[in-house]
Amino acid sequence: MMKANPIAIEPGVPGPEPAELPDDFLRQLTAAGEVDILLFVPSLNNRDTIGHVMNALQLGLVKYFPRERTAVLNADGGSHDGTPQVVRDSIITDFRAFLAANPLRTMHRITAAYDNSKGSWGALELLLSAAELMRAKACAVVSPDLLSIAPEWVESLVRPIRRQEFDFVAPIYHRHKYEGLLIKNLVAPVFRAAYGFRIREPMGSEFAFSGQLASRLLESGGWQQRCCEVGPALGVMAAAIANDYRTCQSFLGPRIYQSRRQEPDLVQVFQDSVGALFQGLEADHACWANRDGSSQVPTFGFEYSVALQPVRVSRKRLLQGFRLGVEELGAILEAILAPDTWRAVQDLGKLSDGGFHFPDELWVRVVYEFAASYHRSVLARDHLLQALLPLYRGKVFSFVMETERATTAEVENRLEELCLACERLKPYLVERWSQEK
Amino acid sequence: MTDASTRISDQDSLWYKDAIIYELHVRAFQDSNGDGMGDFRGLTQRLDHLEQLGVTALWLLPFYPSPLKDDGYDISDYTSIHPSYGTLDDFRTFLDAAHTRGLKVITELVLNHTSDQHTWFQESRSSRDNSRRDWYVWSDSVDRYQQARIIFLDSELSNWAWDPVSRSYYWHRFFSHQPDLNFDCPAVREEMWKVMRFWLEMGVDGFRVDAVPYLVEREGTSCESLPETHEVLKSLRRRIDESFAGKILLAEANQWPSDVRPYFGDGDECHMAFHFPLMPRMFMAVRLEDRKPIIDILEQTPQIPETCQWATFLRNHDELTLEMVTDEERDYMYDEYAKDKSARLNLGIRRRLAPLMENDRRRIELMTSMLLSLPGTPIIYYGDEIGMGDNLYLGDRNGVRTPMQWSGGWNAGFSTADPEQLYSALISNPVYGYQVVNRESQRRSEHSLLSWTQHILGVRKSSRVFSRGSIEFLSAANHRVLAYVRQWNNERVLVVNNLSSSAQAAELDLRHLAGSIPIELFGGSLFPRIGQAPYLLTLGPYQFYWFRLRRF
Amino acid sequence: MADTIMNSLKEMLNHLAAAVEQFLPRLLVMLMIIIVGWLIAILSKTIARRALALAKFDALSESAGTAQLLRNAALPAPRDLVASLTFWVVWIVFLLLGIDALGVVSLRDQISQVLLFLPQIFVAVLILFVGFLLANFLARAALLAAVNANLPFARLLAGSVRFLVVLLTVSMALEQIALAHRTVLIAFTILFGAVMLGLAIAFGIASQHLARQVLQKSFSPGEAEKEEEITHL
Repeated sequence: MMKANPIAIEPGVPGPEPAELPDDFLRQLTAAGEVDILLFVPSLNNRDTIGHVMNALQLGLVKYFPRERTAVLNADGGSHDGTPQVVRDSIITDFRAFLAANPLRTMHRITAAYDNSKGSWGALELLLSAAELMRAKACAVVSPDLLSIAPEWVESLVRPIRRQEFDFVAPIYHRHKYEGLLIKNLVAPVFRAAYGFRIREPMGSEFAFSGQLASRLLESGGWQQRCCEVGPALGVMAAAIANDYRTCQSFLGPRIYQSRRQEPDLVQVFQDSVGALFQGLEADHACWANRDGSSQVPTFGFEYSVALQPVRVSRKRLLQGFRLGVEELGAILEAILAPDTWRAVQDLGKLSDGGFHFPDELWVRVVYEFAASYHRSVLARDHLLQALLPLYRGKVFSFVMETERATTAEVENRLEELCLACERLKPYLVERWSQEK
Repeated sequence: MTDASTRISDQDSLWYKDAIIYELHVRAFQDSNGDGMGDFRGLTQRLDHLEQLGVTALWLLPFYPSPLKDDGYDISDYTSIHPSYGTLDDFRTFLDAAHTRGLKVITELVLNHTSDQHTWFQESRSSRDNSRRDWYVWSDSVDRYQQARIIFLDSELSNWAWDPVSRSYYWHRFFSHQPDLNFDCPAVREEMWKVMRFWLEMGVDGFRVDAVPYLVEREGTSCESLPETHEVLKSLRRRIDESFAGKILLAEANQWPSDVRPYFGDGDECHMAFHFPLMPRMFMAVRLEDRKPIIDILEQTPQIPETCQWATFLRNHDELTLEMVTDEERDYMYDEYAKDKSARLNLGIRRRLAPLMENDRRRIELMTSMLLSLPGTPIIYYGDEIGMGDNLYLGDRNGVRTPMQWSGGWNAGFSTADPEQLYSALISNPVYGYQVVNRESQRRSEHSLLSWTQHILGVRKSSRVFSRGSIEFLSAANHRVLAYVRQWNNERVLVVNNLSSSAQAAELDLRHLAGSIPIELFGGSLFPRIGQAPYLLTLGPYQFYWFRLRRF
Repeated sequence: MADTIMNSLKEMLNHLAAAVEQFLPRLLVMLMIIIVGWLIAILSKTIARRALALAKFDALSESAGTAQLLRNAALPAPRDLVASLTFWVVWIVFLLLGIDALGVVSLRDQISQVLLFLPQIFVAVLILFVGFLLANFLARAALLAAVNANLPFARLLAGSVRFLVVLLTVSMALEQIALAHRTVLIAFTILFGAVMLGLAIAFGIASQHLARQVLQKSFSPGEAEKEEEITHL
């Protein structure tokens, strides 16, 4: 018998019966009917920014897809700041104030509420249901808190699907060298080494997928579980890659978003993203274990660069965090890391501030050993992820020191080395992964 | 409404508002003498068809003496008939026969230009000091009026043409063989009024005034729709009202409705004007399956004086003009309706209704239904009532000007001449050929397009609500459904059109009409009474309903 | 004389024979009970192992930190531990039943007392076990939180958490077996009070330093460097 691919999207496996759609939502879908492009903006208390985002999307559709049948779908997770009202008011009646063109067609805007208790999956489920009912050819997801969104984003996300028949589009953002450090230093290299695709932003909040992929996803029960666990972006992407759907990435520009009053702290963010990554590895083991090397993913868009706000880094605190972790978490780290690795990490703790250097190979081994320990549940998974954070701080400190005066291109090269180290050491991950306890 | 109250009588000076106009070319309609060209005698024989069809007015394309370089719009004598079409006596006979049948007759009035064969131009060019020299616009250089655009981009390079006889340039907005008359010259105005009086006295009921925006030229302007032009038209209208009440002027100005609006003046200029931008948008709406283009353009259409009326049409003797659309829309129309590049001409598509609708009866009917139920006086182009095709292999716009297909017999019943002798080849392909598509066979079937057209024209004429009523669009959430209520006095008609190729459900908010009972106008069926809840209608592909709303 | 001796000897022998006659079947019964008990114990051990394997007990205890705790205490893996525990409990119960079957009156009382006390001990052990686990888990959580918040004295904090939880557990366990009811309570109260006082003083002294740091930072913003300026996502 063939070994079942854990995330193979098999139509035969029925998913949990989706909740019945509300009548009003259904009525709006009936009115909009079949569409070619469905844009999706989930919202939760985004009064200040969502109007801008909705306008940008409408303009993008008119400017780049004037002939296509389109709809913008907003699902609200129960905002209490009047977000739905802002969405309702954000209708552009006269496009000539913005563009040379006026839309040929009626542009539909659909508003609905999603069940926030299911997390982001609740919103995505709504999108997939809508996509299925409206027979959408392309769906794109856009965050409601973006300040830097431009109509061009719609084109970048949707064009590869509409015109080149791709099934998944991952974003590429224009980033400051000290922006997105967790993605650059941990998530992206590990994702690339594991799945074999050079995706720069495996967790981008903006992405697009084909209607075909959406239907398959909706039919597959196991996959919904996945999306609950690892978040929509990574979930959809992993499903696309594991099932050999055509994947590409598209350049969007700088991603500037409105910061929230209660920004989730680093511990939470770290735990969520790395947890999602490890969870994904766990679920997709059958898919990645036998792949080696990595292949380039088709990339669209002109990567322009703009001056970004400089990012200040508190190096002192990073190093302090690392040293404190090595000093205090000995018992825990010892249980996770291989003896050699642990000794090497301990040696790092003794280095002077100026001479500190966290070698790529060591970092990759650390991450792989953590991933394997996560798989083997050496200790409570939350604790395990938290124990990795001080070491990550050490790696970031090292990265910041090395790239202090580096140009963008140099930083790119530096990160490419890390990715290659990740690929080189992949057999080690496979080995650790399957080790008996 | 009884027939008597709606019959168009001579007493009713607003007859043009209730009219249904049939546009035809004498040359293409019926040949009585076997010379291969239609003529007035032939047309007179065929008036029965037009009466049965149910149209109330005829618009004849130019039938004057002409070198026929622009389908007769290049007139060489304004007060007689092209010998191929017959004589003035034939015309008088035809006019009387038409009037006996209650049919009004509108003829062409080409004010802007004449043929270069016209004696006026021959005299004008003969020498610089000829008495008719200033009847045309002459210049020694081509630098004058540089801001005026060139209309026939495909065939003309300049609005000036060199005349080797008098060694100077003459002004022409259209083809170079059509020199523009100079309306700054009082003698020209007087002469043109004489021409009009000639035909009005004979009994013609109105003129379609060709190319009105271009009558007068002024330096530094686009030379279109100048105040002086309006002045010329107003004075002609004054003279008509003084001596020929009930006769009308129908202005041809291919412009945006707001730009056409001045041609109505305060009800003291033209009685009617064509609504050009609506036509391409109806085609676009059906292809997009979206009502937006139609609603957009009608919402942009200004109010016009009580005594005025828009003339609407689906197709006419010219190309489906795409001047009054955006670039985006034009590209879309070309891609959807003229994939075959040979169907494109100037800024338009040279095709007939049926081929544009891919010979889909449901779509042809939907388009006709919309034409007849939206505001305006509808114009039907000859042959479209039987779904005639076109011939793309004929140059220019001749493809849509082939002989009328009367029967499956010799030359489609159009002429007894040899087929080679016909002014134009008949359509004879297996889809649109006269053996398949002809009046005779359709007259025999109750379900033919001809019978259907006859029926819907009857329904349209049953009430003035269609011709004079106001319009209110209903915003059903489903954009594939175009719904509107026409109202005139106490009469209301609800029209619902499904623009899409699939079945649709529409929920209409009809609360303001609560209590009314919709009665379907074609079959007379009753529909459930309108209440407070959204009124649910389901429509098949390209289906439409006309309901009279009655209270009982 | 000799007769008497012989008689009494005979009587003795008869007695003995009767006693042996009487005792042997009981011994046999005891042996049978013990052997059957041993078999049942082995069976229940196997069943327990299987059941725990099915319930993914190992993974559960791994993530709860039990496994590591046991490893640290040089104890077998949690599944094995529970299985052996089951074996011993079952077998001891049969052992006692077997001894009871001998019908020795003096033993019988003792055994019933032991049997009565056994569940209490079992519960107490369980409380201790769970308590230690909890202590371990909470201490680790505190340690990680403190380290990731860059707090000094992370280990002290974790230690205190562990100590408090253990203390609570021990007192609950003792309470359960109701051993020297009052003494334990008083002793525990005194100990608890002392520890709390000690902790209060320790924290007080420690946080003096901490408080000064916090105040210094908040009044000289130029020095304050926030890690949050880097975006990690």
